[in-house]
Amino acid sequence: MLNYIIRRSLQIPMVLFVLSLIIVGLMQLLTPQQRAAAFVKSDKQIEHLDQIIKKYHLDEGFLVQYELWAREVLRGNLGFSRISKEPVTTTIRKRLPASMELALSAFIPIVLVGVWLGTIAATHRDGILDQALRVVAIIGWSLPTFVMAIWLVAWVYGGLGWFGIGRLPNSMLIDLATGHFHRYTGMYTLDGLLNGRWDVFFQALKRLVLPATALVIVVSAGIMRVMRSSMLDELGKDYVRTARAKGLMQKAVIYKHAWRNALIPVITMAGPMLGRMIGGIVVIELIFNFPGLGEWAAKAALQLDMTTLLAFVMLIGLIMASANLLVDIAYVIVDPRIRYE
Amino acid sequence: MSSADALKPRQERWYQSKRFRRFRRNPLAVVGVVILVFFATMALMAPSLTADRLGRACLRDLGLGRSQARAVLHSPLNAHFWRAMFAPPKSCYSIPRVGYSPRPKPPSKKYPMGIASGGYDIFYGIVWGARTSFYIGVLVVGVVMLIATAVGGAAGLFGGWLDNLLMRLVDVVYSIPSLVLAMVFASIFGRGLTKTMIAIALVAWPIYARMLRGNILQVKAQDYISAAHALGAGNLRLFFKHILPNSIGPMIILASLDIGAIVITASTLAFLGLGADVGYADWGQMISFARSWISNPGGEPLKYWFVWFWPSMAIAMFVLGWNLMGDAVRDALDPRSQ
Repeated sequence: MLNYIIRRSLQIPMVLFVLSLIIVGLMQLLTPQQRAAAFVKSDKQIEHLDQIIKKYHLDEGFLVQYELWAREVLRGNLGFSRISKEPVTTTIRKRLPASMELALSAFIPIVLVGVWLGTIAATHRDGILDQALRVVAIIGWSLPTFVMAIWLVAWVYGGLGWFGIGRLPNSMLIDLATGHFHRYTGMYTLDGLLNGRWDVFFQALKRLVLPATALVIVVSAGIMRVMRSSMLDELGKDYVRTARAKGLMQKAVIYKHAWRNALIPVITMAGPMLGRMIGGIVVIELIFNFPGLGEWAAKAALQLDMTTLLAFVMLIGLIMASANLLVDIAYVIVDPRIRYE
Repeated sequence: MSSADALKPRQERWYQSKRFRRFRRNPLAVVGVVILVFFATMALMAPSLTADRLGRACLRDLGLGRSQARAVLHSPLNAHFWRAMFAPPKSCYSIPRVGYSPRPKPPSKKYPMGIASGGYDIFYGIVWGARTSFYIGVLVVGVVMLIATAVGGAAGLFGGWLDNLLMRLVDVVYSIPSLVLAMVFASIFGRGLTKTMIAIALVAWPIYARMLRGNILQVKAQDYISAAHALGAGNLRLFFKHILPNSIGPMIILASLDIGAIVITASTLAFLGLGADVGYADWGQMISFARSWISNPGGEPLKYWFVWFWPSMAIAMFVLGWNLMGDAVRDALDPRSQ
């Protein structure tokens, strides 16, 4: 097992290496001038594009450019982001907590809703409830995240005036910047609690409701499907029949016996689910004016800020690969029948 | 009826097959087909539906005057009618603009769905956008299946280091959320419908290739393949005549379920501003015209509802149609889901 973990961990740098090769390779489709634009820090420098091209060897071959980039990255320098006008690492440190806060606040409802609805669908197999949930799942699966987000912003925030967009009201942000507010985690809900500032906590929470709801609607349908089919699998097994034959109540059979085993396949969904969530977060942050990593990357893509995009993809690759490794490990812990050699 | 006739097995047509019956009896499939037929009719009839609001460039390329356009595009006897329907000039896909005001105008008799900021006629965009969506969905999935057949076929057929290399590449591309990678590719390639489609295809093929490879490995181990090989069938013949037809089924099911997802990715890219050129009839881009009018800060709530409502409904219904149908196709073809 330890062997397996070590081998899998060694694969993560390989994935990042190939990924960066692909993207830097595709960047060769751009002209040196376009690539140089990524290094421009001020308007003045635009007049001296040639110097920038020379300085960073942007007109040289692919291998030279890749080596230069890789050398800087290995030194911990991911470059300068034109979009946020500061080093990439600084921006990531500032914005990662915002995206994490959003992802974490959506994660628990997604799992709860998916598992709960999947269980209901399985226990009412082919009944009206099952059919209705099936339709709901297909609709949820069919809604593009940005459409869902726009509907929520337009109807609930714009129409009803409920909740809010952004991370915190501007007045509160100014207040926090000047006052004694210690940023322990960078997540305003947690920091609000840790600082004893209930107003900050509630304002931050209020603004998480709509984006998190959008994520829940779009992502939980997939979990529900897996939960339903794995629950049906378990309910058809012998030990469930034995439990029933012993005279156990339906509830005990479902929740004490079948449920635990049915949850195992749901763990494998964590990887794809995280992927869908990250894709969703990019769009949702943009629509809800939520200053996280996704909004930053979306703006960078629009302005051809390749330094930012490369760093963003590397970060996502790292997160996804580590998450998949954790899922595999969790799988063994939960289900001792599985062995990796 | 003679006894010989009774013994002959009844010829079964495709619409009498058990699979098709299962598909037809599924109410969700019927809803999906109805939705898609609606959009397909709209897409096909786009020139007729928008005959009196075609843009100047489009009319010029069709060789029509504004006054005759309506009469010509409404009569199936005219050659122009068929040309406009099946091979409309590219300029017809640009939404004609009614003025340049940044303020949207509510629906009126002439413009039944209203006018978006920038003077874009929403009805025109919705109708021609259906064409764009079909084009993107079907073409990208087709190209992806070709790529996957080449990559998955090579990996499954030859095995060894090639298989290893290709599958590691699949792992890498598959390890990044498709929207994120498509966003980066689209950013590098630049604006334009074809470029966006290439970006999406480059991101979508790995799961197909991996699936096809698995199926090919399974089929390759069957006895009838060894038999064909023993009878002297060459590698190419073996692949196209025996292996591919027997391993492509699951990929087709996957494709029918995936068209919706591909249209979602395409419209998301367009919404982000990484899609077709500005003003192209594309639903995702039309929603981005509405960006500043969605939340109505401080103003009358939902005053400009039409700018985002129609295109977002169009995307949602279109994808729903494909997913309902794909789901039913899987249920009908996949023996495991009975």
